[in-house]
Amino acid sequence: MSTRPWVRKFALTAHIVSSVGWLGAVACTLALSVVGLTSQNGEVVRGVYLTLEQTGWTVLIPLGMASLLTGLIQALGTKWGLFRHHWVLVKLVLNLLAVAILLMYMQTLGSLADMALRTPLAGGDLDGLRSPSPVLHGVGAVVLLLVAAVLSVYKPRGMTGYGWRKQHEQRKTIAAADAVTPFR
Amino acid sequence: MADPPPYPDADEGPDRRSIAGTTRWVKVFGVIAVVLALLVGVLVLTGGGNHGPGRHSGSGGTGSQAPPSGVRESGDVEGHAPPAGGHTP
Repeated sequence: MSTRPWVRKFALTAHIVSSVGWLGAVACTLALSVVGLTSQNGEVVRGVYLTLEQTGWTVLIPLGMASLLTGLIQALGTKWGLFRHHWVLVKLVLNLLAVAILLMYMQTLGSLADMALRTPLAGGDLDGLRSPSPVLHGVGAVVLLLVAAVLSVYKPRGMTGYGWRKQHEQRKTIAAADAVTPFR
Repeated sequence: MADPPPYPDADEGPDRRSIAGTTRWVKVFGVIAVVLALLVGVLVLTGGGNHGPGRHSGSGGTGSQAPPSGVRESGDVEGHAPPAGGHTP
């Protein structure tokens, strides 16, 4: 499938913006999670966990979905394809994994937000509210999205079996066309 | 995924990106992925990864709590009901 250059540029811009925006948003939630884990201020801790849930629904999930969708458009609309090059395939798997984990993890963030509303602002209850889980997930997500970004820039070589076959088919077609019309 | 050149192999030689089979970096990625999957699996099985909703509801007290936020007034997250067993990504 081939697309017009301006469509390709637009899709590429949308993909970069959503993907890098997603990485930045995840970095922010990671910073918030660290604050929630370490702050001695009950209102701050409560606010962090309420904010994390809202940020997840309004920023992280939309950006993750946008990154996935624009990535698919970008792959299928260019000569890279979706299953031809290992780096594209690995990026697809990473993106799907990140979105799936995020969607599942929203349940935990929802529970933390509920608990933040119920928990008294002082005493040992606050320690029960604190959770290292958002920090761990945030670190994992940052690493995963950084790897995806590095793959996008470096585009390490290597084709899949499917990509290899497709390329040979195309070369055969071109060679056959050249043989028929040698003086094009 | 970046925009490829109009003819991906034209400016890099025909074999620059057309190496068939599994390259070294893919093997390294695969090994790392397997190790991480095993690590997560062990954590989940040993309870270290038990971070689902059930874990947090235990210390939350009883039904005399403040009502949830606007997003969760129906006891649900915008229609996103958690499964019975929670989740363990």
